[in-house]
Amino acid sequence: MVGINLPSNKKMSIQSEILEFIKPNYLYIPLVNYNNLDCDCLVKEGDLVYKGSVIGISNDQFNMPIHSSVSGKVIGIEKHFYLDGNEVNCVIVENDFKEKVIDKKVYKQKITDYTKKEFVDLLKNCGIVGLGGSGFPTYIKYDTNLPIDIVLVNAVECEPYITTDYVLMREKTEEILDSLDAIIEINDASKGIIAIKSYNLDIVDEFKKYIGTYPKIEIAIVDDLYPNGWEKKLIKQVLNVDYDKIPIEKGIVVNNVSTIYAIYEALKYNKPLIEKIITVTGEKVMKPQNIVVKIGSSFKDILDFINGIEAGEDVKLIAGGPMMGVSIASDKAVVSKNLNCILIIENDKNHPLINCMRCGKCIEVCPVDLSPVLIKNAINNKEALKYLNPKKCIDCGLCSYICPSKIAVRNYVRKAKLSGS
Amino acid sequence: MKMYYVDNGPHIKSSYNTSKMMVHLFIALLPIIIFSSYKNGFLPYFNGYGTIFAAFRPIILIIIGMLTSLSSEALFYYFVLKKKDKQELFSALRYSFAIFPGLFLALIIPVNTPFSILIVGCVFATIIGKMLFGGFGYNIFNPALIGALFIYSTYYSNIISNGGYLNKMEIDTIAHATPLTNLKSLNYINSYSNIVSSFGDLWDFFLGFIPGTMGETSVLLCLLGFMYLLITKVIKWRIPTIYIITVFVLTAFIGYYNNLGLWYPLFHIFSGGLMFGAIFMATDPVTSPTTSFGQVIYALCLGLLTVVFRFLTIYPEGVLTAILTLNMFVFIIDKIGATVRFNFKRGLISILVLLAAISIITLYIANTIGRTDEVDDKKFNIINIIYEDNKTIYTVTHKAYHGLIEAEVIINNDINEVIEINIIEQKEDVWSQIENNNYLTAIIDNQKKLDDLDTISGATFTSNSLKELVRKVLADYNKKR
Repeated sequence: MVGINLPSNKKMSIQSEILEFIKPNYLYIPLVNYNNLDCDCLVKEGDLVYKGSVIGISNDQFNMPIHSSVSGKVIGIEKHFYLDGNEVNCVIVENDFKEKVIDKKVYKQKITDYTKKEFVDLLKNCGIVGLGGSGFPTYIKYDTNLPIDIVLVNAVECEPYITTDYVLMREKTEEILDSLDAIIEINDASKGIIAIKSYNLDIVDEFKKYIGTYPKIEIAIVDDLYPNGWEKKLIKQVLNVDYDKIPIEKGIVVNNVSTIYAIYEALKYNKPLIEKIITVTGEKVMKPQNIVVKIGSSFKDILDFINGIEAGEDVKLIAGGPMMGVSIASDKAVVSKNLNCILIIENDKNHPLINCMRCGKCIEVCPVDLSPVLIKNAINNKEALKYLNPKKCIDCGLCSYICPSKIAVRNYVRKAKLSGS
Repeated sequence: MKMYYVDNGPHIKSSYNTSKMMVHLFIALLPIIIFSSYKNGFLPYFNGYGTIFAAFRPIILIIIGMLTSLSSEALFYYFVLKKKDKQELFSALRYSFAIFPGLFLALIIPVNTPFSILIVGCVFATIIGKMLFGGFGYNIFNPALIGALFIYSTYYSNIISNGGYLNKMEIDTIAHATPLTNLKSLNYINSYSNIVSSFGDLWDFFLGFIPGTMGETSVLLCLLGFMYLLITKVIKWRIPTIYIITVFVLTAFIGYYNNLGLWYPLFHIFSGGLMFGAIFMATDPVTSPTTSFGQVIYALCLGLLTVVFRFLTIYPEGVLTAILTLNMFVFIIDKIGATVRFNFKRGLISILVLLAAISIITLYIANTIGRTDEVDDKKFNIINIIYEDNKTIYTVTHKAYHGLIEAEVIINNDINEVIEINIIEQKEDVWSQIENNNYLTAIIDNQKKLDDLDTISGATFTSNSLKELVRKVLADYNKKR
């Protein structure tokens, strides 16, 4: 499988201290879970909520709770942009800055003391989801009768610009190892592997300081290629294993390293997932930063807080990384659990549109063996789309990235994918 | 609330772009352009052949090619597509890379092609080969090759009568048109000295000092261009690599089968514009497959077809025709290539089938062309012999380049010599060469030592046929006397 070494652009935010932005006046907590953009709201205007109160629940098979990330008063519901560019309902909570928590539930003395059942329930009740970008409920991965052999921690962070995983690993090395160790113990797995890309060898050294005391944990180094953080490719690279639909078929569970840390906080303090680190970066940000924010913080508040943002007609505000992120029309957008980057860059207009010359580069780079240029040419040909199989597309964006004629090839593939063939 | 620009991702793009690729392509061609001007123009001039105008002829041809292509495309945009706005017209031309069909065409024609014919060919290549298909990116056939095919099929005799393939120096030193026409007239299998030595040695082939079209002769410079395009990631590298290797392996087998050494396949890949065609024409991105598997199939088929065309048809070089033929099948090849990406087993099967077909055809060729004697007999037929008092009149046919030459050969019974040759029918397109050189008279004058009589350059095959015809009539006459 192929990959591309993208310009990383990570240096601009990698060395800075992690700022904290945990006291906005208003929080806009999005009623979303995984791909359900319209979850049920459990509170009404005027209700008082604690930090960690359940204010919503996903009305699907996952039943994931949605927590308030501050204590304060509910003052209504408003539409804001979610990271996919859609507007979603958000519960507005007025912050009383008291950080009041509900009754302190008893948590275990040692984080390894949980039974598997308790562990799965804990993940669900704490609302822990995949923080790599998918937002998929984590408890589902562990709620299985199949044996879990290997816990693979995805710390590759292969999208350019983003450094949240990196700084988290730098600051919370021991906690991550503790958490992984506990997960291995609770699920009776044989080992845990942390996959880090070769670009971040200094983090590997950091881990190696402690790793001697965790006999079941290994570090794997993967090439600095995009999209090496993609689950299927990661497993192939690290373990040389192929799977059909989901990794558990082969006894493998993959979690993002930020998810591992969120699990740590759940195990240790019974803390729901209400805060996370995001990278605010890009050429149009004066001082790129990593910031701890509460879920539901608005982009506007964050951008005001770090100051020095250029907006304008030729500036793009992107929720997520430059490859898979979506450009958002205004700063009336909110932080959700699966957001890891706010990217502000100039719109690159220096690309004249040239006809496709069939150089075949998009075919060479496609990690799922599609033929994007042929899909583009057959966009109205249902027969041809059948054997071209666009539904395999993982949206990585390499075809559009590489195209020398600067054609938005991925859009065609997406269109073909959506047309249901 | 601040507003931002919205568009579809990804939001970063590679620094690579089509214009850069085309510049790289031009840079890769530059040494070839320079060498072509040197070898076909200045080198003869400095050695005292031809005028100063002839020295500049190659470079003028190349410039005419590029300008004709550019201007005919501009006119097409202006009058047919109604792009009357200057800015719009300029950007359309800039991003359709209009000079290339003409540039390539100039490089794949003989140096003595009349300017007017080149211009007609460039207009044809650009308008018919490119613009009518929808412009850059939409053409099915390689425009330059379409132009070349048009020129060769319509004006071949004009080119030959204007001097053909040989530059001013080669006309005096080399007796054959090109190595491959010579090979064909030798019936494919012959000694190193007959096939190679009349043009120099294989080193001359490698450097490019042999007769051929303007830009195709230098293997070295083609390979350098290939390396450059490989480093700059412009080229679909599988196509030339596999294409050349296929031709090498097949001709090596054919040579080995007929007890010829390693020089034989080297001769084949070093001549007939194979290197130039494989590296610069077969890899034209627009008209070649996009999938890697498709490129492998395409290259294998190109190799096979080239060998087939060289050995089994009247087209001695085969590269042009092979590429144009396969251009038609790129769509299907890509379909196979796209499916094989999901299912490699299927690919393996199609490759095996293809290789089996290639082996069978090669074996057939090796077997057929090896039996030269049998074929030789069938080439010559006596239709009628009339014996008169003092002369014998033979009516015979002999195989020539295009079909048969039918002739009446009159022998004087007193001196036992040919005194007259009357051609009854011939279809040779280079016949004017024969007439201009009074070649029939030359044959009559030299009938005792026909082996020493030089063939006419540009009409080697026909000359040889005529010589053979007379030789065999005399042999028959002497047998019966």
